Amino acid sequence: MATQAPTPADSSRRSAFEKEALVHLDALYRVGLRLTGNAADADDLVQETMLKAYRSWDQYQPGTNAKGWLLTILRNSFINEYRRRTRHPETVDVDTIEPFAVFQDIQEEDPQGAFFDKIVDDEVLRAIDGLPEAFRETVVLSDVEGMSYQEIGKILGIPVGTVKSRLFRARQMLQGKLYDYAVGNGYIKGRKP
Amino acid sequence: MKCRECIEHLYEYLDRELTPAVEAEIRDHLSHCPPCGTKFDFEAGFKKFVQARTRAQGCPPELKQRILRELFDE
Repeated sequence: MATQAPTPADSSRRSAFEKEALVHLDALYRVGLRLTGNAADADDLVQETMLKAYRSWDQYQPGTNAKGWLLTILRNSFINEYRRRTRHPETVDVDTIEPFAVFQDIQEEDPQGAFFDKIVDDEVLRAIDGLPEAFRETVVLSDVEGMSYQEIGKILGIPVGTVKSRLFRARQMLQGKLYDYAVGNGYIKGRKP
Repeated sequence: MKCRECIEHLYEYLDRELTPAVEAEIRDHLSHCPPCGTKFDFEAGFKKFVQARTRAQGCPPELKQRILRELFDE
């Protein structure tokens, strides 16, 4: 098939997409990786997201929140096409999980939580991957990608109040996991059982 | 502002989700209340720690090339 020369409309569409959408590839990849849990699916998910986004680029309002728009496409694609085969949907109601309280436990020994600094990247990512999906996606969008509660609520289709309570529980649970890891590795003694 | 109210707003404060007026009230409370201050410092440190440990990863260059080819038929 012969390739046709790009029209001026094509090149302006392309340059707008490059400027507003492609700059978010790193963020999309990070979120994709945490959602799918493996690099091969994350690759496909991100690629598919970009293709869908380019196809529906006319629906995007220039200058609005491109990152949020792209992440919404990514998450919808994940739910519709990947979740069933990569991860199992939650069977627990995350909104009823009781929070941990690491801060109270470390009061005597390390109130600033300096022991966290000994924990390497891979271990933190593993701990995030071990969170229930609803917590994982909230914590990734907030703490890793710096999205606002409103943006997160829009991407996940949940009210801001739910974002807030999930984020609270997700952070406490993540702290709990990393604290257990730190105690297990002798980075901190921890409270005697 | 009382300790309880201050702690209830902890994450919203760290995530910059509050109005400037409430932020100022919290800052004022923290400057007079060492226990709340310690808790806020701990949570602020944890938030920074998570971000520092998770942002190194980015889109692999091969994937970016593949996407560009797909999109623009390069």
